[in-house]
Amino acid sequence: VHFPTKPRSKMISFILMVNKQGQTRLSSYYQWMPMEERVALESEIIRKCLSRSELQCSFLEYRGFKVIYRRYASLFFIVGTKADIDAGKGAENNENEMGMLEFIHSLVETMDKWAGSICELDIMYQLEEVHFLLDEMVMNGYVVETNKANILRPIDLLEREAKTADGMFR
Amino acid sequence: MSGMHLSKEFFELLKAIGESKSKQEEDRIIAREVAVLKKKLEGTKKSGPAGSPGPQNQLATNKKKAKEFLVRLLYVEMLGHDGSFGYIKAVELAASSSIIHKRTGYLVCAACLSPEHEFRFMLVNQMQRDLASSHVLEVCAALIAVTNLITADMAPAVHTEVGKALDHQAETVRKKAIIALHRLHQIAPDVVTRSDVIERLRKVLCDRDPAVMGASLNVIDSMAAVDPIPFKDLIASLISILKQVCERRLPDAFEYHKVPAPWIQMKLVRILATLGKNDAQASNGMYEILSDCLKRADVGVNAGYAVMYECVRTITTIYPNPTLLDAAADAISRLLGSRAQNLRYLGLTGLAGIVEGHPKYAAAHQMAVIECLEDTDETIQRKTLDLLYKMTNPVNVEFVVDKLLLFIRTSQDLYLRKTLTSRICTIAERFAPSNAWYVKTITELFEISGEFVSPAVAQNLMSLIAEGSGEGEDGEESEEADMLLRQHAVEIYAAKLAGPKARLPRVLVETMAWVLGEYAYLSASYTLDDILVKLCEYSTTPTLDITTRKFLITAIQKLVAQLGQCPSHAASVIDAYTKSKDVDLQQRCMEFQAILTTAPHLLGEILPVDASCEDVGVDENLSFLDGFVAEALQNGAREYEKPEDDDDDDDAGGGYAASAGAFKMTPYEKPTS
Repeated sequence: VHFPTKPRSKMISFILMVNKQGQTRLSSYYQWMPMEERVALESEIIRKCLSRSELQCSFLEYRGFKVIYRRYASLFFIVGTKADIDAGKGAENNENEMGMLEFIHSLVETMDKWAGSICELDIMYQLEEVHFLLDEMVMNGYVVETNKANILRPIDLLEREAKTADGMFR
Repeated sequence: MSGMHLSKEFFELLKAIGESKSKQEEDRIIAREVAVLKKKLEGTKKSGPAGSPGPQNQLATNKKKAKEFLVRLLYVEMLGHDGSFGYIKAVELAASSSIIHKRTGYLVCAACLSPEHEFRFMLVNQMQRDLASSHVLEVCAALIAVTNLITADMAPAVHTEVGKALDHQAETVRKKAIIALHRLHQIAPDVVTRSDVIERLRKVLCDRDPAVMGASLNVIDSMAAVDPIPFKDLIASLISILKQVCERRLPDAFEYHKVPAPWIQMKLVRILATLGKNDAQASNGMYEILSDCLKRADVGVNAGYAVMYECVRTITTIYPNPTLLDAAADAISRLLGSRAQNLRYLGLTGLAGIVEGHPKYAAAHQMAVIECLEDTDETIQRKTLDLLYKMTNPVNVEFVVDKLLLFIRTSQDLYLRKTLTSRICTIAERFAPSNAWYVKTITELFEISGEFVSPAVAQNLMSLIAEGSGEGEDGEESEEADMLLRQHAVEIYAAKLAGPKARLPRVLVETMAWVLGEYAYLSASYTLDDILVKLCEYSTTPTLDITTRKFLITAIQKLVAQLGQCPSHAASVIDAYTKSKDVDLQQRCMEFQAILTTAPHLLGEILPVDASCEDVGVDENLSFLDGFVAEALQNGAREYEKPEDDDDDDDAGGGYAASAGAFKMTPYEKPTS
């Protein structure tokens, strides 16, 4: 018996880095959400992630989002996905949760390579640069690059320009 | 990184945020920061002591301070406070010639400016300049900004330059350009049309750099999901690319944990699913590569499992191939049997996909499915519910519905309850083993999650009870079976009405009222009057919706008609409602009272028993009043004069113009003193 078929697609709606006290260290939204909604979403999602044990799977559902999360030391990396906006209201989110889980890992590996072992403080001290790095990997809610060389090359260039600029302007 | 590059002020802020022990404390810190930032921005018009620049000038001349200001503003907003006072600085900084300041400006704009914010439009010129820049990083900055900030009215200004960027010599630019172009199409499909994008996509797919090809796959995936047809001729290319990737012909840098470009593989496989669905010919060409891909991905790492999972999903989506399906089923079994929760999760989803079209594969996993349903991991439980839903058939429907109902009862998650409710409605209707079961199940559903049930379901239920099914169970006399069903429903509802008065959902009360009004006489356990008393009692509940009250009143009226007389409890309720704020309800009750007192014998005709399926005859000419009219005329009443039709009357007063919609353009004459 076949159930009525809906279009299937996916996109990332948000990427969060939240610590276990529930403090947001980075948030990137690929679909506009008003601030109150974001604040509520962030606090509820981290609570849900914290309530789960390490033995349980890294996926959960929250308000229609498929959420994939992974903990690294004190920091949770959380990705929320839903069906692509183009596919219309009834569309089914066909996100590959394992693929996204590994994407998170690839992001952390890239950040590690960039910072020489990344930690929560690094993200706090260089928030905008972490955003620039993430911008190389995700655009419009899609994963566009995971090749570390391709990601870090422009970031390198950016940082070199910044240093020269700093030297020229007081 | 030690934070040495930060100003003391900023460092102290971050230290405070990092050490704060509660949300309230954090809020206080941020509130202080907002005050500090506002001061920096406003400053004083005159300069500070001895000619040194005032705070206002500092931000303007010192780019480093301006950039830091913006990052601090980003923190303010990230932690939930309003930073709109500083948005203008972000717009200004986007114009900086220093790339990192430019990026910071654009970043804060993207994070803070809502789609309707007028500052977005202010960035258009800057974006144009940056898009045309000879500096790669500036073009990239602009492409990212376009993707994040573009609105429909901004699109015409940038789309040509974005299109040009697709031919840029730098891979990093071309990669971003195709995403930006797609974004323009999403926002302004009349400026950048589907065919515009598809035309460029063909070239980008064959880009010399795999990274650009990889980025374009997102666009193909998204657009093909909406309409696969324009992409069918790309299938051969996609398969060829997938082959190359699987066979490790991409540069090493694309490898991740020993798997060659896993995300590119996943995207390609996913696109194939969309293009091969319901298309035997298209699917035919895919079987070989999918089999190969599935095998090669089996290397025991997560990235490999992710690719395998995507292959399984595609295999179960496209036109079926028995060998491949077996291979997919095999992979699913291994995933389901894994001890790693994440893999079990994939197994569950995979099984849900295969079981829809090929139920035989579910048989081997019944035990595993039951175990998953009882797992302490809520996510696993919910996935199993998904699976059960897809596995529903006439044999197991009662079991499945029981489980879904259990979850609705015990879950706090509104989203889940809503989804499960609609699913129960679907499968109950489709697979109900008997009408009695259907009535009982839907009634229970109304009770525990009535607020999520669509009114159509209630209507269906009432129709079912009124019309019957047309055929009895075991072929017995259908009218008898239908009556049994009605009686069954009546007994359930009468009992519910008599039971504890927990707040019943509206849809349930209305359905009950209607059924009882129509068929209360069938009850063996309660008399008509018993039920009438209960209905009257219930109608006095203060929190009822107006429509619910109407249902109740109509039911009460029907029972009074059937009883042949109006007991005092019913009379007092109806009387009370003649004073209702709702005019319709007032009218119904007043008319009922009038009929009761002047023509009670008509009640049986006005509220006939079990006649809900019969059409109501309407005599539009009111011919039954002809006698009344003739009599009145004979006694000297005036004939009816149809009022003059003054639609065509242009000259009658008022100043209405002869042609529709024309304004009176001549000014009024000046008043005379």
